Amino acid sequence: MLAYTVRRLFSSVVLLFIGTAVVFGLTSISSNPELLLATCPPTRCGAEFRSEMIQMYQLDKTIPERYVSWLGDAVQGDLGTAVRDGRRPVTEVLGERLPKTLLLAIPAFVLTALIAVALGVYSAVRQYSVGDNALTAFSFIGISMPTFFFGLLLQVFWGVWWQEWTGTRPFYVTGYHNADFMDLVSSLTLPVATLMLVSVAGESRFGRASMLEVINSEYIRTARAKGLPERKVIFHHALRNALIPLVTIWALDFALLLSGSVITETVFAWPGIGSYFLRSITNYDLDPVMAIMVFTAAITIMFNLIADVMYGVLDPRVRYD
Amino acid sequence: MTAPLLSVKDLSVTFRSDDGDLTAVRGMSFDVMPGEVLAVVGESGSGKSVTSLAIMGLLPRSARVSGSAMFDGRELIGADLKQLRKIRGKDIAMIFQDPMTALNPVFTIGSQIVEAITLHNDMSDKAAWERATELLNLVGIPDPKRRVKLYPHEYSGGMRQRAMIAMAMANEPKLLIADEPTTALDVTIQAQVLQVIRKAQAVTGAAMVLITHDLGVVAGLADRVNVMYAGAVFESGDIDDIFYRTANPYTLGLLGSIPILTARVSDKLTPIPGAPPNLRRLPEGCPFRPRCVFATEVCHGSEPDLMAVNGGRHRSRCYHIDKVAEARAGSTV
Ligand SMILES: Nc1ncnc2c1ncn2[C@@H]1O[C@H](COP(=O)(O)OP(=O)(O)OP(=O)(O)O)[C@@H](O)[C@H]1O
Ligand SMILES: [Mg+2]
Repeated sequence: MLAYTVRRLFSSVVLLFIGTAVVFGLTSISSNPELLLATCPPTRCGAEFRSEMIQMYQLDKTIPERYVSWLGDAVQGDLGTAVRDGRRPVTEVLGERLPKTLLLAIPAFVLTALIAVALGVYSAVRQYSVGDNALTAFSFIGISMPTFFFGLLLQVFWGVWWQEWTGTRPFYVTGYHNADFMDLVSSLTLPVATLMLVSVAGESRFGRASMLEVINSEYIRTARAKGLPERKVIFHHALRNALIPLVTIWALDFALLLSGSVITETVFAWPGIGSYFLRSITNYDLDPVMAIMVFTAAITIMFNLIADVMYGVLDPRVRYD
Repeated sequence: MTAPLLSVKDLSVTFRSDDGDLTAVRGMSFDVMPGEVLAVVGESGSGKSVTSLAIMGLLPRSARVSGSAMFDGRELIGADLKQLRKIRGKDIAMIFQDPMTALNPVFTIGSQIVEAITLHNDMSDKAAWERATELLNLVGIPDPKRRVKLYPHEYSGGMRQRAMIAMAMANEPKLLIADEPTTALDVTIQAQVLQVIRKAQAVTGAAMVLITHDLGVVAGLADRVNVMYAGAVFESGDIDDIFYRTANPYTLGLLGSIPILTARVSDKLTPIPGAPPNLRRLPEGCPFRPRCVFATEVCHGSEPDLMAVNGGRHRSRCYHIDKVAEARAGSTV
């Protein structure tokens, strides 16, 4: 198990290097500052600005050369400069924004997982009941509607309609507020709820499918034939097996949340990594874009590794050697 | 005469589905005496498994069960779950066909046996683990102290079935239901596992319902035999009745001893020409009629009852018991 983990760690690092090369190449091609400069009228982009850009983005060098120099800096912890953020180091800006993304990601992840498992178990045990059918309908809406729809809906509901009806506004509809704990909770509620709506819909489907498969398996019949109460059959014998395939889903969902929810953070003006990513793209601020993509890749690779190791812990049949 | 341990009367099971109802068991009646081994044979789909699951109350919700199954003075059909749970695993234990899938893969063999023990006994965990080890030893698992802590996937198929047997024996049940306990196993270990089942039955003194396709097993283990076809008992009798005084064409077919079929007697059930009936649409009259070499006009009318042969416990569902007996006598066996 340890040997396996170490081996996987090594291959993860290799994978990450390949990932950075691909991402760097694509970023350099797709938002080429050279082309931007070429189309920029000299009145706006003077000679001085041009030479500064050329020096900053090393436009006189080839992309592979630039990548090597970027990598050299990156491994030393220098991810470049956030030009549109007071020319501060990217790592500093990300350091400020990451905790705010975590504030959204962790509660959203934990609550989603708990609710999705509960709904999945309920749906599987009461397959085709009114409740199960209602949840199926809800899931399909949740999966097929875009995130921003729910975000805007919640904002309109709590920020406009609710206020019209009651004259109060129980939650912040945008922004990050932390005057005190309740203030923080209030500003977290709607973005977390938005993140959850979509992932609960998806995860509970997986939970239901996984649970259904387990419930119809023969060892569940064996458990019943022993005389076990149904509660134990479901929550001890069945759930333990049904959770195993969910580990991968959880790892990917959490990685996605950690690397910042671009849409949700933007809709709620949440100062996390996701909204920063979108802002950097629209601003052609290349270093932060590159840094966030690499961060996302690293997180995804890491959580895949964690999922695989968890598999070995949860499922005795999985042997790593 | 002693009272039967299990008395099944007029048991019927119908599965509801979108394609229409399927009656898998049609008015089954049979008794199991204390300590007796009743073998149940019949082609695939004849309702053997469904019958035993119905008795245990383990059928899915889509099944409608009617009739009666009196076990030790208690009615099982329609009993509430709480009552059934006290009987399941304690008074009636089951051994399933496929030991690969019948054990929970994420728990150790020991913990699954211990669970069965502590559920029905007031016993400390430590004592229960000792008992589990002892049971594994009893069913012939070498080095049980170590193996009790292993997971199902670390056992071979034969060992898993031994572990299932150990689990079934754990509470010294009055009745063991074994549903094709050796079918999924390697031929070379079938005999050993059967030996273990025989031993388990002897040690606990339990009665046993043994569902099997293997006539060698029937001959070696059973006191009595039920031959099932299309969800009903077609012939019932002791070993000699079934093997040497066969009184039903279907049984003859299974034994492979109908002269015109030129089959020889083998250990396995012989395939009978023609397909098993469609349970959604049984033929008029006797369900076996379309495949029966003895069929006459009378077989088209109504289905024959299970009738006594020579007045004893030997019974057969056929209008032509005499003709079958003649053919039997004339055959090579
Ligand atoms: N859960 C179910 N839903 C619908 N039909 C079922 C269900 N379980 C069994 N059946 C049907 O009931 C009939 C009898 O099945 P059963 O499993 O009792 O056969 P069997 O005699 O045990 O056969 P085998 O020798 O193959 O085990 C079959 O036609 C089967 O398709
Ligand atoms: Mg069966």
